[in-house]
Amino acid sequence: MIIPRKTSFISLPRISVIAGHTFTQLVRMKVFYFLIIFAVLIWALKQFVLGTFTGGDTASEQQLRLLKSTSYFAMNLFSIVMAISATALLIPKDIEDRTLYTILCKPVPRLDYLIGKLLGVLLLIFVSLIFMDLLLSVMLHYNTQSLIASEISLMGAGGNSEVLQERITTLNAHGLTNNIHYATLVIFFKAAVIASVALLISTFSTSTIFTLILTIIILLIGMIQADARELILKASERGETSIISKLSMFIVLVFPDFQLISVDDGVIDGKIVPKLTLLKITIVSFFYVALYTSLSWFTFRKKEF
Amino acid sequence: MTDSGVTRDIAVEVRNLVKSYKSSFKRQTFQAVDNVSLQIESGEVYGLIGPNGSGKSTTMKAVLGLISPTAGSCRVFGADSTRVDARSEIGFLPENPYFYKHQTSAETLRFYGKLCGIRGKKLTNKVNELLELVSLEHARDRRLGGYSKGMLQRVGLAQALIQEPQLLILDEPTAGVDPIGSREIRDLILKLKSQGVTIFLCSHLLEQVQEVCDRVGIIFEGKMVNEGTLEELTEIRNQHEFIIKNASPALVQDIEDLIANNQQAEVVRSGKPRSSLEKLFIDTANEQKHNKKGNKS
Ligand SMILES: Nc1ncnc2c1ncn2[C@@H]1O[C@H](COP(=O)(O)OP(=O)(O)OP(=O)(O)O)[C@@H](O)[C@H]1O
Ligand SMILES: [Mg+2]
Repeated sequence: MIIPRKTSFISLPRISVIAGHTFTQLVRMKVFYFLIIFAVLIWALKQFVLGTFTGGDTASEQQLRLLKSTSYFAMNLFSIVMAISATALLIPKDIEDRTLYTILCKPVPRLDYLIGKLLGVLLLIFVSLIFMDLLLSVMLHYNTQSLIASEISLMGAGGNSEVLQERITTLNAHGLTNNIHYATLVIFFKAAVIASVALLISTFSTSTIFTLILTIIILLIGMIQADARELILKASERGETSIISKLSMFIVLVFPDFQLISVDDGVIDGKIVPKLTLLKITIVSFFYVALYTSLSWFTFRKKEF
Repeated sequence: MTDSGVTRDIAVEVRNLVKSYKSSFKRQTFQAVDNVSLQIESGEVYGLIGPNGSGKSTTMKAVLGLISPTAGSCRVFGADSTRVDARSEIGFLPENPYFYKHQTSAETLRFYGKLCGIRGKKLTNKVNELLELVSLEHARDRRLGGYSKGMLQRVGLAQALIQEPQLLILDEPTAGVDPIGSREIRDLILKLKSQGVTIFLCSHLLEQVQEVCDRVGIIFEGKMVNEGTLEELTEIRNQHEFIIKNASPALVQDIEDLIANNQQAEVVRSGKPRSSLEKLFIDTANEQKHNKKGNKS
């Protein structure tokens, strides 16, 4: 007599099989070409732009700032575009191609499938960000050292050693510190939250375009909601409570605050990321990812194909 | 499984299955499967036949838990189909199977094997064995994007067998496969049957269904209209059939004269024989259409 084997609800090996497959699938879609573009961009920046900054005390900082802001812009762009499009495309594609039939007919719980897909996309983003972070770090280190060397040779002749020391400290603060990696990590967290939003939407939407548009709208709401919240707070201090303010309080609760999950602006200015802030961002990101993934499962659980 | 005995040998049990879909514009619902019940015993080969759109694939999807029944229930080896556990012993070949185009057939089989929890050397051996079984060794390292329909069908079959399931659900297993291949698939089904695997299939190739199935159900517009063992279904009790080889026209004339002289007997049909299941199928379909017309007027 045959008794079906018990299948555990969440199985890490199974999730990693799906995640690994999703990762390979994306790699074979040639997304890593972006990294080549990134490398070329950074190289061109160094070769043709950075050298042209001359004179003035802040010129050196400007150079480092430009390097960082360009890199972070590219990292943000890549991770957000990947998080939205890969997540929004892959699951509907599985449904449309009916590959999902064959997967769900194996003893694979639907939650495992969702988590696997999400992790696959995130793995790809993570690996790409590590690559970009490494490249940025090398460039930043190299540039900072050469800037410091040139300042020393410039001021060394008759300069005040105290002033020189201060310059070196400033330049080092703008150069390669752990804050650079923290900013990258936070970019990854932001992408994770966005991907989980896209995952949720793709479980109930009937078209990929709809998923893309709705995710972008939520992303935009998330980016401006901190400002909106401030406005409302001011309004309510003046005693004006309207439907709009109640509505926006609801929005604040449901939609992620992407301004909170962002430190790269500060790092570009050479500021330090406090450990507490980093911890807070980590917790908030995990909370949102878990929330949206559970909601996705809720709608995906009973879905019919 | 507490009360054995009755439910012991049942591999698939579909009880009063109803599946209705909303027709998009009108308010009314459309019943793709209407109160279908069937039981497949362990080790049996069961064939579901019926015209296009009669609800065969829908019934199979309900057994697989891909759709949830509007009413009724499906059980696989005693476990409810909506549970993941039920799927550990099922291999499924969907109609027109599609897999990830970027994978090769070997990668595809490895992927599905890993999903079933098979690893390492065992998996490698299994993959090689299955690729040989479905004659795809020569194409094992080509991406599926370039596979033909019949080749994909073969990959689908191999994928269904990866975890050595006790129940195989095959939705038109030979669609698009060449004659030799479909003969091989038939032989494979018979071989698996001899190993005690239960098989639930549907097909439009009635000759094949007749060759492999122990029991057949005929489904028409979502309703099970006829079901039984092949002998039961195809036997017509008050008739007798001769199939004569090399009969001269004179002999045929003599036989016809003999029957004509008999008081009771009459010739119902004479001519070249054809597969009786096919005849049954067409007769049933005609009968149903006739009944419908009769009901309307
Ligand atoms: N998701 C769905 N939404 C609406 N109607 C559906 C859906 N799936 C199936 N149907 C309808 O249910 C009926 C049965 O479909 P099913 O695929 O089971 O037929 P079938 O017997 O497998 O036909 P074929 O021989 O062509 O494979 C059809 O009329 C089909 O249009
Ligand atoms: Mg069908």
